[in-house]
Amino acid sequence: MLRKTVGSCLALGAVVALGACGSSSSTSSTSGSSGSTSGTVDIYSSLPLVGASTAQTKPMVNGIKLALDEAHGKAGNFDVKYTSLNDATAQAGQWEAGQCATDARTAVGDPATVYYIGEFNSGCTEVSLPILNQAAIPQVSPANTLVGITTDEPGHLPGEPDKYYPTGQRTYLRIVPRDTIQSAADLQAMKDAGCTKVAVANDKEAYGAGLATQLELGKDKYGLTITSNTGIDPKQPNFRSYASTIKGEGADCFFFAGIVSNGAVQLTKDVNAALPTAKIFGADGVCTGSYTNEKEGGVPASIDPLIECTVATLNLASLPGGDKFLTAYKAKYGDANPDPYAIYGYEVMKLGLDTIAGLGDQGNDKAAVLKALFATKNRKSVLGTYGFDQNGDTTLKAYGLYKVGPDGNPLFFKALYPSSTSG
Amino acid sequence: MEARSLAARRGPGGARPFAVLRAHAGAWSLIAVIVALPIFYGIKDLSSGYQAGVMGSHAIINHDLSKLGGNLVQGISNGAIWALIAIGYTLVYGIIELINFAHGDLFMIGTFVSVGLWATFGLTLATGTLGLVGGLLVVLILAMLISGSLNVLIERVAYRPLRNAPKLAPLITAVGFSFILQNVGLLWRGGSPQGVTDLLRQNQTVFHISGVAVHRADLLSVGTAIPLVLGLGWFISRTRSGRAMRATAQDPEAAQLMGINVDSTISLTFLLGGMLAGAAGLIYALYETNVWYFQGFEAGLIAFTAAVMGGIGNVRGAVLGGFIIGIIQQLSDSRLGPQWTEAVVFGYLIVIMVLRPRGLLGEETREAG
Repeated sequence: MLRKTVGSCLALGAVVALGACGSSSSTSSTSGSSGSTSGTVDIYSSLPLVGASTAQTKPMVNGIKLALDEAHGKAGNFDVKYTSLNDATAQAGQWEAGQCATDARTAVGDPATVYYIGEFNSGCTEVSLPILNQAAIPQVSPANTLVGITTDEPGHLPGEPDKYYPTGQRTYLRIVPRDTIQSAADLQAMKDAGCTKVAVANDKEAYGAGLATQLELGKDKYGLTITSNTGIDPKQPNFRSYASTIKGEGADCFFFAGIVSNGAVQLTKDVNAALPTAKIFGADGVCTGSYTNEKEGGVPASIDPLIECTVATLNLASLPGGDKFLTAYKAKYGDANPDPYAIYGYEVMKLGLDTIAGLGDQGNDKAAVLKALFATKNRKSVLGTYGFDQNGDTTLKAYGLYKVGPDGNPLFFKALYPSSTSG
Repeated sequence: MEARSLAARRGPGGARPFAVLRAHAGAWSLIAVIVALPIFYGIKDLSSGYQAGVMGSHAIINHDLSKLGGNLVQGISNGAIWALIAIGYTLVYGIIELINFAHGDLFMIGTFVSVGLWATFGLTLATGTLGLVGGLLVVLILAMLISGSLNVLIERVAYRPLRNAPKLAPLITAVGFSFILQNVGLLWRGGSPQGVTDLLRQNQTVFHISGVAVHRADLLSVGTAIPLVLGLGWFISRTRSGRAMRATAQDPEAAQLMGINVDSTISLTFLLGGMLAGAAGLIYALYETNVWYFQGFEAGLIAFTAAVMGGIGNVRGAVLGGFIIGIIQQLSDSRLGPQWTEAVVFGYLIVIMVLRPRGLLGEETREAG
């Protein structure tokens, strides 16, 4: 009997051990190189690699690796060691502050670090940025849109952005337009769709709450009424009460400001049940198959025709180098229609490699890399021609409006150039 | 424990007038506390009205009780799920005085099993009514059997060897099993909530009662839970095994002397509790149409609160507690906002505990005296 009990306990122990395997991890790659080298430089990325956001972040990592492969693992004379860190935990199913800090400290602890790619979630960057800033490590995000990380435009929180830069020196840049621009694009899209009264729900994270605030700030410029802006509890099993409340408010459109793993699918189902004809809008946090595609755990296919969402990516095929990227991506990963974020992963790595290469023998000097990044102007890239302002924000201004395609995934519909931003 | 019981028996003329006052005031105060929210919002809806929609730029204000009725219907259907889970807590506590912290996670496993089974059986939106009802009935039975068996296994591995150990020991193994089941769920379906097929189209309205819509989800929840609760009540009160359960709950040693196999009786209790958790799991998946490995923690906390509120150890109390909490949740979600719901539910629990420490229908357990 004792033997049986011990056997059961061992089996259960194995289950626990397997469970632990689902937590954060990192993978490194050093591509083969030929010719003379001046040494090795280390590049890290910190992205959520478990949970619903992986529909966006895994293609992003693929894009990063593709850019590195195309450069044969080198930046100028330097060999590049790239390490993909995971800022999410299996338990949380999304990014977690402790993991964001751990990832940043990993990069800080490596004297060869010259470039840090991340993060996907603005809330995570709020944690990592002060750590990386104190080590003067250049950080470039392929996805953050929160206004307060870089500017004190309307909608920023007290102390932003200075609290993220304890040294007083800017060390952060991003290649996606911030939420003052994204929210304006969203408001434009809702106006074009005939919305008059919009109910907004946010997931109470830095990104979601910040974007919702931007929508409120900009609504008058687009003649829209925001009937309510509600911070939802993502852990709720259903949102029927909320849905009946916004029905009572007379909302004709619904906007979710947040990420997929924060209850987006259930919320959308409940809102659609209460308001079956209301159009449903979202931003880059939900513009992915794990939200729109029923087969990937997203909303039922019957809701898809009502959904529109924005991502900074425009029609890939129409961008300079877009076709080449798509061909190369398909050849390497077998996917002809990757998530829009794949190209951001590609560009953020290419930006880093080009910057390091352009510095010659100084490519392993993170201070020189930082200075060169901020000096980037008129860079011709797969995203279009862009540079950075003194805050580290990209000069790109366009957002792509996506509808849901026949395969259930977001499909580029048109480019939006918002005439006036919420800021 | 004995001293406390003796003091309580001193009666109205004893030396503890405050306790006596509380005992007399308690019954009325309890009723007042429980009905306070619905009555308040009923009066408010009738007098001030509520916004039922918008026509053009004008708000439509209704002065009736249909919004309150909707809250009550949804609260009862939500509460039916909590009641089924709460019974598992109360059965186990009643018989071995253990708070089975793993019970909420067992419910989560029941949900995952149900979703896995209906996918295996090929139940989809395209399945015909007869196939769907028959298929779900088979899923219900299997989910109940699997969850019940798992609960028996947990009792056999983690609780029975500690029958005579200090009470903290099985409590810790219960917490341990809770984490183990959570990890199983995490490995099974990942860390994010997942939508599942809305097989019954649960939001479809079946009929109206005085302007209050009753949806398929409401009928499913109440229509499954009530027969199961009635069946359990019949089993406990009318069958030989049920009598053995009651005898064991009252005094395990005396029950053993009377020829009752206490170990088997305890296993049967775990089986029944687990089966109800499995049934709740299926209802939850059909009702909420999303599943998550962490749902058992949340649901377990609510159901445990329901069991305590109703009087832990008392099956009818657990059911009553489940319905009350379901209604409070709905009223709070709808009127105050979901961010206040947990505070309101636990505020209610505190008030009820202060007025009646044994819970609404609580009986004296061996431990409580």
